[in-house]
Amino acid sequence: MATEQSSKSATAKSEGLIRTFLKATELDVRILGMLGALLLVWCTFDVLSGLIQPNASIFSGLFLTPRNLWTLLVQTSSIAVMATGMVLVIVMRQIDLSVGSMLSMLAVAGAMVQVFMLGPWLGVGHPIIWVAGVATCLVLGTLVGVFNGVLTAYLQIPSFIVTLGGLIAYSGIAFLLASGVTIAPLDQTYDIIGGGVPQSWLGPMWSWVLGLAACALIVFGILSGRKQRRRFSFPLRPVWAEIVLASIGSAAVLLTTYVVNSYPWPFGLIKQYAQDHNVTIPVGDANSDGNAICMAGDQVVRCMDGLVYYTGYAVPVLIALMVGAVMTFVATRTKFGRYIYAIGGNPEAAELAGINTRMVTVKVFALMGFLAGLSAVISSARLDAATNALGQSNELYVIAATVIGGTSLAGGIGTVYGALLGALLMQSIQSGMQLLNLPAAFQNIVVGTVLVMAVFVDQLYRRRVK
Amino acid sequence: MRKALTLAAILVASTANIALAQGKLIAVSWKTFQEERWKHDEAAIKAVVEAAGDKYISTDAQNSAQKQAADIESLIAQKPDVILVVPFDSDAILPSIKAIQNAGIKSIAYDVQFEDPNSLYITYDNVGVGKLMAQTMLAKGKKSGNFAYVKGDKGDPNSAFLAMGFESVLKPEITAGKIKVVCDNNVDGWKPDNAQKVMEQCLTANNNKIDAVISENDGMASGVVAALAAQGLAGQVAVTGQDGDTAALNRVALGTQLVSVWKDSAVLGKRAGEAAVAMANGTPISKLKGVIKFADGKHHVSMPAILLTPDAITTANLEDPIKAGHVTKAEVCAGVAAGKVAACN
Repeated sequence: MATEQSSKSATAKSEGLIRTFLKATELDVRILGMLGALLLVWCTFDVLSGLIQPNASIFSGLFLTPRNLWTLLVQTSSIAVMATGMVLVIVMRQIDLSVGSMLSMLAVAGAMVQVFMLGPWLGVGHPIIWVAGVATCLVLGTLVGVFNGVLTAYLQIPSFIVTLGGLIAYSGIAFLLASGVTIAPLDQTYDIIGGGVPQSWLGPMWSWVLGLAACALIVFGILSGRKQRRRFSFPLRPVWAEIVLASIGSAAVLLTTYVVNSYPWPFGLIKQYAQDHNVTIPVGDANSDGNAICMAGDQVVRCMDGLVYYTGYAVPVLIALMVGAVMTFVATRTKFGRYIYAIGGNPEAAELAGINTRMVTVKVFALMGFLAGLSAVISSARLDAATNALGQSNELYVIAATVIGGTSLAGGIGTVYGALLGALLMQSIQSGMQLLNLPAAFQNIVVGTVLVMAVFVDQLYRRRVK
Repeated sequence: MRKALTLAAILVASTANIALAQGKLIAVSWKTFQEERWKHDEAAIKAVVEAAGDKYISTDAQNSAQKQAADIESLIAQKPDVILVVPFDSDAILPSIKAIQNAGIKSIAYDVQFEDPNSLYITYDNVGVGKLMAQTMLAKGKKSGNFAYVKGDKGDPNSAFLAMGFESVLKPEITAGKIKVVCDNNVDGWKPDNAQKVMEQCLTANNNKIDAVISENDGMASGVVAALAAQGLAGQVAVTGQDGDTAALNRVALGTQLVSVWKDSAVLGKRAGEAAVAMANGTPISKLKGVIKFADGKHHVSMPAILLTPDAITTANLEDPIKAGHVTKAEVCAGVAAGKVAACN
């Protein structure tokens, strides 16, 4: 098989190198297009943000700095987590409009458990509190998802209506639960999940360990995929293509790890940490550009070579990446995942083939609810507060991210990694414009335009492929 | 806590209005109940109205101009003596106001203005809230340096009123070069999580060189403070807010927020309830306590108004909202080190 494939690619030389490359690696052109768009957006914002700086030059850009990229990843994680679930919902020809309101409701419920119920009873800071807070969000989220799913699958109410009702009703519940008050501050251990405190930063060593583990996982995935294909005598990718894929994947992981490992802790936090943990601060010369801290006399100052810590991956980003990996596995390597795509491709045929479509529908909505609960934990922990305003209208961003990521509203087509990239692209545009200090109204216009453009380009591509 | 508040309001109201005529009908058309504060307002109005022996009815427009028009029609049909309106849309409401007056019913613009010369407008002075934020910032926070503006939703007139207020106070300092405004953004829907993102980008763009943040409300201030805390700057950067949210008053006690301008809804509701009862009993608007002429609205229509002065809550007067029963001492002082804040001792 391998020889057949390579002889094919030899004849295809006239079609150009790119086409050969794409065919051999089986990479999706649209994903490459999205990566290109992402790179374009990043570079554009970097140059523009550099130009508005006082001492403008091509290198003074702010977008492609470790700090901004690190923040961008944290800002994306909540939407990204929900987008991975929305892919499956949309692939199955359903929709979930209630995720934003669900997030508010769950965040408020989780915060109430921590602050109003367990806090006074167990004493602030008790380890059960954060566990209970997280569990409340996840369990309630799953139950609400099951409820949405049962209404859709067994009572045959269109999911658009079920979840539109949910969008309205759950936001009402979110308000009533705490009669609209902002609940804050939350449990300190719980806040680690949000990525805003030093305890939630992995540090360079563990980040490298995880990065290398991820590389190993990529290689393992490719090897096992190859074995699987051989077992069912599917056509194999040429060996060079496998190597290229593995290197690209590992390079991306290592580059990301390098970037997050280059973001130093903010000055104030290093100082705080040193004081709290009795770390000796070295003596050095003050330098306002430095990332480290030094003692100059009895003053703690910024300096070049002194005490410095680097952040590495933040917990919410890790959660989003892991959810992405698990959901990719669920979608592509499990029976459940294949059923979802089968139902999305042709519900009647799937039903006739013996798939319990109703049960699968309920499970997918339950999964979506679980992920909304996870996002509720991430966003409330990040804000260190829960209010009924949190998460409102997030459903629009989640659906937009999914659709920009190449998921077809007609069902049957869509990838988890596409949705993750979609979420990243959208947050990049928003954060970038924020960096340029552009008005909020302008941001809305651009994000809306990008959404429509993305689907248009996708349609064009699909028509050409046909 | 809310019960105690209602009870207090009833006590105050019942001693004040015991001798008034009974049996009038007072109606309120609310624009929404999706925010914490309107419950306080309603409790206070209802307490005054019922203590006077009158009846209270209300409708909730759920943030829809059309629903509010229909609501008001149904209220008119019940023949009340006075209708208080919190308009969702200040212009679209005007035909409904006309209909109210054609039916011989008196109208009050409650907290949100509609411009009609025959109605009473009762509110806290929003431009004044903005001024108070800036004045407190200059007096007790930062007098100079890099300032960031975190403004509310671009479609909300109150956001513009607030900005008008604080910008007027800060302008001389900006012209003198003492203050530089480095970020200026509206936050969609006044959402705290959006405010957090806005602040994160502002800090990145300015390499953390921010001295003060004028945030137009407490919800957004919570996002701002979360962003500052992630950079180890919470407590060093002075942050404003308004609404007297429990969490915000706690931040004031902790030192991470400078001020929360507090418009006690219970006082506003009480004053409006008293005005409504008086109007129902035939007192002309011009004879009501504290009425002035107000013409600073969008269309500069001159109308009678009662403008209440808000309180700037800082560590110096944290006990005021506690004494008023708005929040408990335990809520405000959660996590505050002993001996740091007078109100928590």
